[in-house]
Amino acid sequence: MCKRFDENYEIIYNKKIGSHYFELKVKIGNTYKYCLPGQFFMISIPGVFLRRPFGIYDVNNEEKSVSFLYKVVGKGTRILSNIKSGILQLLGPLGKGYDLGSLASPTVDNNNTHGDFGNNIIVAGGTGIASVYSLASRLKKKGTLYYGARSESDLLHLDNFRKLGWKTVLSTEDGSKGYKGYITDILPEQLKTSDTLFACGPIPMLKKVLQIAKERGVCGFVSLEEKMACGLGNCQGCVVKINGQNKMNCKDGPVFKIEDVEL
Amino acid sequence: METNLNINFAGIELKNPVLTASGTFGYGYELADLIPLSELGGIVTKTITLEPRGGNSQPRIAEVESGILNTIGLQNIGVKAFIEEPLERLNKIGVPIIVSIAGAKTSEYIELAEILSRQDGVSAIELNLSCPNLKKKIICHDLCLVSEIVSGVKNVSKVPVIAKLSPLVTDIVEIALTAQNSGADGVTLANTYPAMAIDVEMFKPKLSTFKGGVSGSCIKPISVRCVYDAYQSIRVPIIGCGGIVTGEDAVEFILAGATVVSVGSSSLISPKNLMKIVYGIKNILERKNINSLKDIIGIVSKNL
Repeated sequence: MCKRFDENYEIIYNKKIGSHYFELKVKIGNTYKYCLPGQFFMISIPGVFLRRPFGIYDVNNEEKSVSFLYKVVGKGTRILSNIKSGILQLLGPLGKGYDLGSLASPTVDNNNTHGDFGNNIIVAGGTGIASVYSLASRLKKKGTLYYGARSESDLLHLDNFRKLGWKTVLSTEDGSKGYKGYITDILPEQLKTSDTLFACGPIPMLKKVLQIAKERGVCGFVSLEEKMACGLGNCQGCVVKINGQNKMNCKDGPVFKIEDVEL
Repeated sequence: METNLNINFAGIELKNPVLTASGTFGYGYELADLIPLSELGGIVTKTITLEPRGGNSQPRIAEVESGILNTIGLQNIGVKAFIEEPLERLNKIGVPIIVSIAGAKTSEYIELAEILSRQDGVSAIELNLSCPNLKKKIICHDLCLVSEIVSGVKNVSKVPVIAKLSPLVTDIVEIALTAQNSGADGVTLANTYPAMAIDVEMFKPKLSTFKGGVSGSCIKPISVRCVYDAYQSIRVPIIGCGGIVTGEDAVEFILAGATVVSVGSSSLISPKNLMKIVYGIKNILERKNINSLKDIIGIVSKNL
């Protein structure tokens, strides 16, 4: 069911949700059917040469919309944050998302009655939260979100996870909310070998998550981030080391199995 | 009479003058779901080497004002694997396939040309003599070496040989003439420009190899100049290349002296840009009542 489109779509809103954070929602038409958790779109931004990759935050089937969470970090995201309405050119959905297999639920199901023995654990750091919400909404078994950020004002859309029935464990570097320190400091306490781990965040966090997972023999997935020019595997700009080989983050990833990733 | 975009390049019949530029189109067939590949003029493949190459480490790309800086480092699967699968799939597209090759020494270029020019469905060979991302020097900076490689490859190749040259030379005419006089059937002008960008927050270069090659809109006028200068002095046809994003850009190169063009960075942004360029050229010719592309090649020199 892999299908991708390079089309113009209408902005529903592009609103500020935190000090430097925005949520962009676009009408995506029937493209919504092909969007999987962990996939991304390349978005054209007037005034910068290359498109920018944005992970899918949420897909709304009724509205036929897709939304993205982003932080203003440079020229491209700054220009994008000022575009409040009109048309954007999007290429996607791209890449391989989370291979959920039997873990996936075709619809959101709030009854935690399935027979899986392990727990689903999502670890998100900073803007890594942007790519794991749609994952949480597609996992048939509710789990726990471990979410770390710099301070309380960087913790985004927690209510959305709680509404899904997920537990949340929080950390901030300045201690303004939850545990003071890194989320990976408290992750090992609860982790069991039977759990399935999903992680997205900055490289130092992912390194630590991989180390913890490998020590405990926990399986799961990480979503990696690299600068991309094309998002299609053509420029070969976004290589990552997977099982000792150079793979394209855009095409072979951005989601990889924990055991295959070297950081 | 309908405007005809057909063009002959070094004996190869193309349905239009828009080629993909080497290294920007994977092995070519991956985009079949996004654009009608059979409507391209031709495909220049990713540069192939004798042995597979892993390429350079990260970061490999950085955006610059109106362009892109890269240091991919010729990552490719090697000639053996290329023949086994991608080449066969490329041939199903039904447009001429030009295979880009590079070697660490003359003998490697010759061996690659020997192998590839014997394969079905290789219309021409493009010699990458100008990759700025290998630790060794750019071949184009040594006229004797250019001559040795081009004539060596010509001796063994059963298909036309095109030399892709670096724009960073003292005299583009001298190097283009050297390629021609050594037997090249055409030249590609030009490759990316050696360039550099620095992150002022980190106090570090933006690319792992410090320097890379810059392409995109920002280099277009410099490449147009290369084509114009070379066109004055050489007989063999030119593939114009550098920052082509629209049909207008492509026509500019043709007016300067290019017979066909190749498009790279722009297709990375959107593969659809390749088709827009084809239609754009057609629109301009129709608006100007020009029936054949041949009529406007290098016309700016003739209008003096």
